[in-house]
Amino acid sequence: MFIVGLLSWWYGAGWARQARAVRDRLAGLYDYFSIDLLLKTLFSPFRQISAGSVRGSIDVQVRAWLDQLISRVIGMIVRSIVMVIGCVTLFFAAIVGIVSLCVWPLVPLTPVLGIVFALSGWVPWTI
Amino acid sequence: MGAVDDLVVNYHSQRAAEARFGVQLRGFMAASLPWTALLGALLGVGLLVLGVSIGWVLVGLAGIPLMLHAYYRHHLITLPPSTNSLTDMIAGDVLGRLPRKPSPADIAKVVGEVPSGQFMAVRFGLTSGLLLSMASVDAGTAAAVWQQADNIREKCKLDQISGAVLAVAIVRSFPDYQAVLAQIHIDDEDLDRGILWQQQLMTLLEKYSKPRRTGGIARDWSFGYIPLLTRFGQNISEQISRGTGVLTVDVASHLEAVMQLVETFGSGGRQNVALIGKEGVGKTTIIHAFAARLLDADEILPDSLRFRQVFLLDAAALIAAAPGRGELEGLVTRVLGEAHRAKNIIICLDNAQLFFEEGVGSVDLANVLQPILDAGSLRIILSMDEQRFLQISQRNPGLVNVLNRVNVAPASETETKTVMQEQLILMEVQRHVTYMYQAIKEAYRLGERYVHDLEMPGRALKLLESAASYSESGLVTMNSVQQAIEKTLDVKVSVASSTEDREKLLNMEELIHQRMVNQTRAVSVVSDALRRARAGVRNENRPIGTFLFLGPTGVGKTELSKALADVYFGGEERIIRIDLNEFVRAEDVSRLIRDGAQDPTSLTAQVMKQPFSVVLLDEIEKAAPEVLATLLQLLDEGILRDEKNREVSFRDAIVIATSNAGADRIREYIERGMEVAKFEDAFIDELISSNQFRPEFLNRFDEIVVFRPFTKPELVQVCDLILASVNKTLAVQKVSVEVEPAAKQLLVEQGYDPRLGARPMRRVVQKAVENTVAKQMLSGSVASGDTITITEAQVAQVFGIEAGHMGGDSPVTPPPGV
Repeated sequence: MFIVGLLSWWYGAGWARQARAVRDRLAGLYDYFSIDLLLKTLFSPFRQISAGSVRGSIDVQVRAWLDQLISRVIGMIVRSIVMVIGCVTLFFAAIVGIVSLCVWPLVPLTPVLGIVFALSGWVPWTI
Repeated sequence: MGAVDDLVVNYHSQRAAEARFGVQLRGFMAASLPWTALLGALLGVGLLVLGVSIGWVLVGLAGIPLMLHAYYRHHLITLPPSTNSLTDMIAGDVLGRLPRKPSPADIAKVVGEVPSGQFMAVRFGLTSGLLLSMASVDAGTAAAVWQQADNIREKCKLDQISGAVLAVAIVRSFPDYQAVLAQIHIDDEDLDRGILWQQQLMTLLEKYSKPRRTGGIARDWSFGYIPLLTRFGQNISEQISRGTGVLTVDVASHLEAVMQLVETFGSGGRQNVALIGKEGVGKTTIIHAFAARLLDADEILPDSLRFRQVFLLDAAALIAAAPGRGELEGLVTRVLGEAHRAKNIIICLDNAQLFFEEGVGSVDLANVLQPILDAGSLRIILSMDEQRFLQISQRNPGLVNVLNRVNVAPASETETKTVMQEQLILMEVQRHVTYMYQAIKEAYRLGERYVHDLEMPGRALKLLESAASYSESGLVTMNSVQQAIEKTLDVKVSVASSTEDREKLLNMEELIHQRMVNQTRAVSVVSDALRRARAGVRNENRPIGTFLFLGPTGVGKTELSKALADVYFGGEERIIRIDLNEFVRAEDVSRLIRDGAQDPTSLTAQVMKQPFSVVLLDEIEKAAPEVLATLLQLLDEGILRDEKNREVSFRDAIVIATSNAGADRIREYIERGMEVAKFEDAFIDELISSNQFRPEFLNRFDEIVVFRPFTKPELVQVCDLILASVNKTLAVQKVSVEVEPAAKQLLVEQGYDPRLGARPMRRVVQKAVENTVAKQMLSGSVASGDTITITEAQVAQVFGIEAGHMGGDSPVTPPPGV
């Protein structure tokens, strides 16, 4: 009865829980890298350096505009880098999650598979 | 879920088997499962690397502990309820410990072993021993306990029958359980509250164990640098992100204020809010709750508010950094400018009065702040005490017009208890103590009564915090809270339990009579009042006792008040004496209730400082009618509001009003040979009909006691008391004085004045005894250890009369009633 309980949980609520855990992990990573926010603010000045309207002579205004331009360029570069890192991390996390979900139903079979492989005498690598 | 279908535990059910397995696995075994899996897998892989195919077996077998680990962690620990059968409703940790056919005693034993049952044991005193003593060993009666448990589960809207539910069910299945609850100072309602509290803490744990989504790495990149703000402010949002912010509790009054904050800052109007409420209502907590809401990615918020950061400006740090005139204004302008440019900052001025008035640690920055508030572009929250807000708005009416006011009301009793139940978890960690529910209840009750400088929930929390210092073996009980208030306010709030206390109360009359003569009825009524109070049988919503003492001067009215203060309240300084002949005009009412900061001698200020005392209202008949009307509420409810509208409690005081009104009538009645008890009612009627007192005023007193004039034999006793006090003074010089009986009689003859009572007696003793002693001591005729005897001749000589003439008179026959 215990084995039945364990297996029915493993292939039912347990598997669903694992799927939720993968989803939550991906959502957490997505939130950490805040990719939508990075996209939305891709060309915004970075940390508002010289942001806002500047009053003064043309010379001052041109300098402020240039400062802002540089700030925007820096922002774009930093955000792009983070976005790339975020996307790669998310991709790998998704792969790991999908693999874990695929492996999940096989785990109860591992003792049997282990015995079968052992009996077959096959080893993947030797030193 | 509805009610259960059956009332029998199915020991062989799948769920019961899982629960038992979960119980067996717990602890070391469960913790070692992932390590066993890892070790097996590593060994297997190692063998495979070495070319040994048996390694596959180890790798394969590692899957078993891995599965068990996941099964235990995600299923067996929680074991969610499923159908409506009893077995499926019982919490896993309880179910896994139950024997085949559990009796109520078995259930009680199990309850003592599971965390939710232990919660009830520690917090409420429903220990395993107590439950076992209430539970039957007959398995046939278990159905009643299960039925009771299911009823409780349904009432509290719970999914499971936990250990806490079962603890309460066992108690309620006991026939005389109310008496048991009374012994541990809780009631039926408290038991339900305990179950909900345990559930509330579980929910809280679950909430805080989930990862928080707070905007991520790039959240603030589009906003400005804030070096000045970081230096002079406290970033509440960052504290919340780190999990070190103030623990906020969802109570209705706070949620409403947070909603108003969101609405105001989410709309296009002036971007400022003034949180106005008394100190202790939770204004700072509301700001923290608001900051937490802005940081929560799951909250539905306007985009203009999402992930905005709340900064608390530190007035002291600003003032310290800019001591010179004008420097501070410049610094504040720069700090606020930085916040404005950063575009994601909400500035918070907690205790905002510090920025609007000159004083120690505060500075008037209205000139700088008002234009900013007026423009409404920088988001600012000001929190202020109601009174201070009124004062500032009186000086600066323009300020009120530009602020969006949000009132914060004090928390209700239920809300306060909820706040305490959650907040004390933090206090427990900080102070290394555990609070019992009885302590929470007592903190609310006593906080309401004695803590005046804060509002709820702050006042109860303050008391709960100070009670930690009086914990017993790390447990903060009702007694700890009582001790905290007794030690800090010097009042007695607990029921008399020590032998010394009880002896004193039982012999109160004797103790009082050691320093005053006769007036047995008066002594008896005040003693009874004190005994009622300390036995816990009095009405707690009134003063301990309210008495009106009527009688001529010098008969012991004030002396009894002093004796009471000395004997029971611990010293004559425990008397708060107000001479009402100084309150003869209507406008004198304000002097009576003046704020302690302005007048420490006002009645309210003195009682606030020393609530456990005798309040003596002397010569009450001379007070203005308005003053008497003010005192009505005091006599009725034991409450008087001071000029700041704070409730001042007189519920731990004995209020004694004295009056000489009708003194001549009392003498007339006595001279006609009437007993006090016989003419008392008629005399009081006369006082009412002659308009000296209004009936509604006299009705407010617990007892009206008529003091009768002293007789000559009583004056001899008074004389003895005075001589005893002279001897007490002389004891330092190891000298004593003795007065011969005939001399004493002569002293009484000289000191007797029916109009002045015992008053002249002291003067007579001074003249005849103290002066004689002083002369003898100065002449050197008295050595240390000597006893000076005062003879009749000496007294006669002092008063210039012939000895034997007066002293031999027989004393006046005491009137009836003595």
